[in-house]
Amino acid sequence: MGKDECKTMLDALNKVTACYRHLVITLGSTSDSQNLREELKKTRKKAQELATANRTKLTALLKDKSISKDDRTEYERLWVLFSSSMELLDVDMKRSLEIGQDFPLKVPTRHLIQTGMTGSTTTVAARAMSVQNMKYEADSNIDTADLKELETEITQVGQMMEEMEMKVQVAPWAVEAKQEAGAELKSTLENVAGGGEGSAIPSAVLYASLTPGLLGALQQPPLPQHCPER
Amino acid sequence: MTIRTNRDHGQHYRPRMACLKKLEAMVVEMQNPKGGVKSQEQRLVITTIPHAMTGQDIHAWIVNRLKFTAEEAQAFGTMLVAYGYLYPLQNHKKLVLKPDASLYRFQTPYFWPVQKWPADDTNYAIYLAKRNIRKKGVLEMYEQEHYNSLHKWMNHKWDFIVMQAKEQYRAGKERKKPDRVVFDCQERAYWIVHKPPPRTFSAMDYGLDRLIDPNEEEKKTIDYYRRIIIYIQQSIMRSRTKSTVSLGALVKFTTTYKNHDPFLAPCLPSNPWLTDDDSYWELNLPLVEIPTKMRVERWTFSFYELLNDPRGRTDFRVFLKKEFSGENLAFWEAAEELKWGTAESMKEKAQTIYKTFLAPGAPRWINIDQKTMDITVKGLVYPHRYVLDAAQTHIFMLMKKDTFGRYIKSPVFKDTQKKALSPQEHNFSDSQLEQNARNRRPGIHPILLHQQAEAEKAKVAATGGPVDIKQLRRFKAPLSHLALYSAPCPTGQDDGAWPPPSPIRSFSLSRGRHRRPPAPAPRGEYRSAAHRRRMTLCLHPSASPARDPAGGGRARHPARHSRTKARPRPKTIALFFQNGEDDSTESRFDLLDEECRDAAGVTRQEVICPWESATQQSYME
Repeated sequence: MGKDECKTMLDALNKVTACYRHLVITLGSTSDSQNLREELKKTRKKAQELATANRTKLTALLKDKSISKDDRTEYERLWVLFSSSMELLDVDMKRSLEIGQDFPLKVPTRHLIQTGMTGSTTTVAARAMSVQNMKYEADSNIDTADLKELETEITQVGQMMEEMEMKVQVAPWAVEAKQEAGAELKSTLENVAGGGEGSAIPSAVLYASLTPGLLGALQQPPLPQHCPER
Repeated sequence: MTIRTNRDHGQHYRPRMACLKKLEAMVVEMQNPKGGVKSQEQRLVITTIPHAMTGQDIHAWIVNRLKFTAEEAQAFGTMLVAYGYLYPLQNHKKLVLKPDASLYRFQTPYFWPVQKWPADDTNYAIYLAKRNIRKKGVLEMYEQEHYNSLHKWMNHKWDFIVMQAKEQYRAGKERKKPDRVVFDCQERAYWIVHKPPPRTFSAMDYGLDRLIDPNEEEKKTIDYYRRIIIYIQQSIMRSRTKSTVSLGALVKFTTTYKNHDPFLAPCLPSNPWLTDDDSYWELNLPLVEIPTKMRVERWTFSFYELLNDPRGRTDFRVFLKKEFSGENLAFWEAAEELKWGTAESMKEKAQTIYKTFLAPGAPRWINIDQKTMDITVKGLVYPHRYVLDAAQTHIFMLMKKDTFGRYIKSPVFKDTQKKALSPQEHNFSDSQLEQNARNRRPGIHPILLHQQAEAEKAKVAATGGPVDIKQLRRFKAPLSHLALYSAPCPTGQDDGAWPPPSPIRSFSLSRGRHRRPPAPAPRGEYRSAAHRRRMTLCLHPSASPARDPAGGGRARHPARHSRTKARPRPKTIALFFQNGEDDSTESRFDLLDEECRDAAGVTRQEVICPWESATQQSYME
């Protein structure tokens, strides 16, 4: 089914986005290194591949006029997932460009920020690439060369997002989420397939509405009377 | 001529934070292993994390590098922490630099504040969801509120947020334990800076959004140069004052207000922003019973200060009540209400104001010169916000020049001055300051304050004002009309013994005490002040028997006479000063005899505004 394929691809894109964000956060800090730049590059490329694949798939599905209403809502929901992922990726890529330019590696004295992080990020990248071990084969001027590529990729992603908005008529605000508030508390440990989706959670809002409390605070009884008496 | 295609005049951009780039350079300098700040290790229960610094070291480094004094270095360091370049490891909510052994660490460049990238709501939602997972559903109050509201209005993205939160959480677990701890601290620090807990100071606060993106360089097109030329021409054309004059005004202002400025002089008891103790605000509430000495001193600076302070205004009102000239202040307040009120209510307000203050024979008639009165009444036909401006300014100047001086010398003010408090200055130790910070409670909700103010206003409006006798003496314009009409009645009376000053006589006869008729006055004219005063003193033309002959003479109004009888009124003792709890409309109304009332077109039920003639249609519809 098209839906399941889409879902798995979106999950993969989601994973890669999350890992990319972790990697960009360590950029410029003491756990930055040659390897990190290479990991960033690889993750980025993977993200772009997944993005294009997702996009073609979803546009094909959405352009198909002969699908049922339920299917259409489902595809719209997936579309919103996809576009949000792309937004995050876009921002992260721009940030990594800026930070990468500010903290070059090939200088005699590196001025990396002492953030307290010293470990490497290989495991994160491995998770992103879905491999067991990462292989590093880049040459030493990766930071400068990579940045140029990064610029082109950013423009590509920007163009892709513009096309997406133009071509596909989906109103993102009309999509209703399937997950209720607090759905992240269920099934946090392992990647349970389809967990959380459609689970019947009775209360609509996780935290009971705070307005009674606020009103109670408004009606504070011990209020000194400040009206002067005549 | 170019046509401006950009129709969006909305303001969307954050104002420029010019300090950020400079701070970044400074932070990078701090990293220098040779000349930078000394770093140590932070020992936690199971791990040790490097790259922690003591506040002392940071402070010393700043003093050394920038050649600051200790105070300035502390302020600078606190700004670094407040902007999020450093974060405290111990008390993570209080973003200050403490020049002692408390530990700090640098924030990673991704989480630095950047002009282009304001904190995003999607990211915040993901962070809250992650925190929810980590803390197993126990978030702080303000975080819970944010969570709920984000869930509500970002509902369409909520699936994505949940998915992304879970994934980020799992990806984070892939790192080693010390790095995980550091990452959590970093993220938490970032969000405390950008979404601060309530009632804390935030360095990211700014006023309004700007129209133009400060990051964008403006292209120097013809339009740009044209705009610059117009701007320069206008600034040349502006009239300027001599620098001696303007500097003199500035000097005068500073010398008057310098003790009242919390930046320049310590505010008593203590500045709540610094010590987290809000007694200063409690003592200076808008309508507090006993004001502080500083506040009372400010009232003496200018009349405008007195009026602007609600407590000062109430005091002034008390004084005016004693002096029986409350209608000036009431008119001024009514004019303010008109100026600031809604457009729909303006017509009604204009009518009420006319009837209460401006109409001839109005209960609280204000004393403005005829020209201003003419302009105002003409303007009230089509009322707009500033229609009462001329009258209001006149009244303001009147109060300022005359009443204000008397107020300052009055016993009311002197009494308030004596009772005013001067609170002791607080002297908190460090631990007490910490405790204050922990015990911060919400103050009085602004809605409650507003309700109190409204209640106060309603009370003032209900008591109305006493009839002002002094004003009546200057009652020239309306009464002259009345004098004409109370001249010998042309109709229906045969016997020439129609006593022209019968109104006067009837008044004087019907008064409780003084039965002596007034000195023979020429017909139909009120000359002496004594007349008028005695006339006005009688509140109720009582249906006393002495009135009958006069009543009988008024053959043309037999019906009215019976009407008079049908309205038995209690005899009141004529007092020279009244206590003011009477209904002003009634008393003023009855002062004028019925004939006078009729003649002036003033009826009991409505004062007819001059524009409300036979035309039924309102100009609005």
